[in-house]
Amino acid sequence: MAASPAFLDIRRATKSFGSGAVLSGVDLAVAPGEFVSLLGPSGCGKTTLLRIVAGLITADAGEVVLDGVDITRKPPHHRDVGVVFQSYALFPHLTVAENIAFGLEAKGAPKAEIAATVKTFVTLVHMEALADRSVKALSGGQQQRVAVARALAVRPKLLLLDEPFSALDRKLRETMQIELKRLLRELGTTAVFVTHDQDEALAMSDRIAVMNRGRIEQLDTPTAIYARPATAFALEFVGLSTRLAGKVIGTEPDGIVAVETAHGTLRGPGAFAVGSPVVVGVRPERIAFGARDGANIIAVELMDMVFQGSRVQAHFVSPDDHPIMIESAGELPAGLAPGSPTPISWGIADTLIYPAVS
Amino acid sequence: MTTAPATPVAEAPQRDTVAWLAVPAVGYLAIVYAVPLLFLLARSVTGPDGFTLSLFTAFFADPFSWRVIGNTLRIGVLVTVVCLIIGYPVALALARARGLVQVILLTAIILPLSIGVVVKAFAWQIVLRRDGVVSQFLVGIGIWDEPQRLLFTETGLVLGAANVFLPFMILPIYSVVKLIDPRLTEAGATLGASPFYRFRKILLPLTLPGIVSGVAFVFSLSVSMFVIPSLLIGDRFQTLATLTGRSYLLMRNEALGSATAVVLLVLAVSIVVGSTILAKRLGRSM
Repeated sequence: MAASPAFLDIRRATKSFGSGAVLSGVDLAVAPGEFVSLLGPSGCGKTTLLRIVAGLITADAGEVVLDGVDITRKPPHHRDVGVVFQSYALFPHLTVAENIAFGLEAKGAPKAEIAATVKTFVTLVHMEALADRSVKALSGGQQQRVAVARALAVRPKLLLLDEPFSALDRKLRETMQIELKRLLRELGTTAVFVTHDQDEALAMSDRIAVMNRGRIEQLDTPTAIYARPATAFALEFVGLSTRLAGKVIGTEPDGIVAVETAHGTLRGPGAFAVGSPVVVGVRPERIAFGARDGANIIAVELMDMVFQGSRVQAHFVSPDDHPIMIESAGELPAGLAPGSPTPISWGIADTLIYPAVS
Repeated sequence: MTTAPATPVAEAPQRDTVAWLAVPAVGYLAIVYAVPLLFLLARSVTGPDGFTLSLFTAFFADPFSWRVIGNTLRIGVLVTVVCLIIGYPVALALARARGLVQVILLTAIILPLSIGVVVKAFAWQIVLRRDGVVSQFLVGIGIWDEPQRLLFTETGLVLGAANVFLPFMILPIYSVVKLIDPRLTEAGATLGASPFYRFRKILLPLTLPGIVSGVAFVFSLSVSMFVIPSLLIGDRFQTLATLTGRSYLLMRNEALGSATAVVLLVLAVSIVVGSTILAKRLGRSM
């Protein structure tokens, strides 16, 4: 057995509040320098997991090992784990520079070293001009920069970020995401990032842990999660998708199953017993207009068109709650109008089949 | 040009009408408080031959007066310190408590205010007696060899007064702590700061305005208390407030009473004004 290369190793982390289990035995290994996102809806346990790693709450069971040291029972101030909070939690009675210096002063670093480090980080986050300003006078984006600089100035082994961009508007958020990614790469900092925003997770992460109901449902690279979601939840939560409920009616050679749906029989790779209820999914950019040989073909009725600049989405009527969606970078076929039936198709290999969530 | 030019209608500047809401309070206080106070002030500087400061020079020349001032300040400081030491942690707990616990704590702090100070002082008389619970307890756990009375001692007075004034320390601090993001101390912890460092550098500076107003409340209440020392320590021990009361009620010595009242007033006002200025300055530097 090769030694685990994990820098952060969370083993069977378990936590309940009252009667509800928030985390049910979560394992997560993060490599040095890696950027891992915990992605999931609110209440999935991602923030709880982050607070356990930071030492701000105690897990009911499980271990946290950081850089070979078991930190499970260490208090937060002995962990070397930095946190950027959702509310930033800047010290309102201190200036920008004093906030950044706080951790170094708490550790009793020499004055000259503190001054030099503060200068470095103030520059890194482009706050030179505002270093002596009270943090209360800063905008959201500036506060966020100070919070990141403050957490990184003590050079933590691990940086945890709890939805740090949620209070920023979209434009600023995208700028800050790129800035943060660059900063972490320059410093070689390992980071765990909590978010419910899938675009943010897809854009920033080396790997994403998709969390649902206190468990990690899939841990993989953004491309792998998008292309091959491990569960119906991962399919639904990450990226857009068309999902149709159905029932397996037969198995075919090469691991293909036939599924009966409201749109007729569809085929896709999977190993299910005949009769099992399933969800058939497909990504919108995998669907094309018109019929093709050897593909899943259905006839649908246009409901809506959503123009998104570089791309356009067509939504079609579906008996399920979720519309059937096509996303296309090109032109939509002429004559496409609401109410008129159109054939659409996608490859059997692009079909994703999951057991139906009860 | 026979007609006089119309005088331009002056645009009335927008006045802050909200200030008028204070009129009833200001009027009431002016009649029942400010006017009598002026009489008092006037009495303290009036002699048989008109204006004189002889009352004050006589007062300050008497060593007994200095003992009374010393008593007043010592008791005021002790009661304030006891309230601060007991009240600060309570205020923190109260602000961080949730749901039913918070309701119970708040009730426990506010409800005693509805019990008259005389009743409370009498209760303390029983508690502090030689055969009272405090004495029995301390003998029981072996700290005292034999029962002692705390009643009619300064310790008893400080204990009783601190009990009565404790809510006035807790509530202002509580209202400040409530507004502090609990994430701030967590952020301090993740930056490597020990619990004591977090307290000194985060919680203490941020709660200072609350501490200052609590101190101002309790100090001005305890230098001017009359009923509690009368019942818990008696006539042997005089403060400016009890001396003022005695001068008017027992000795019929209006001259002495007005002088001590003015000295007390000056003391209390300078403490309150001083602490307010301090709070403002600290608030600005934060």
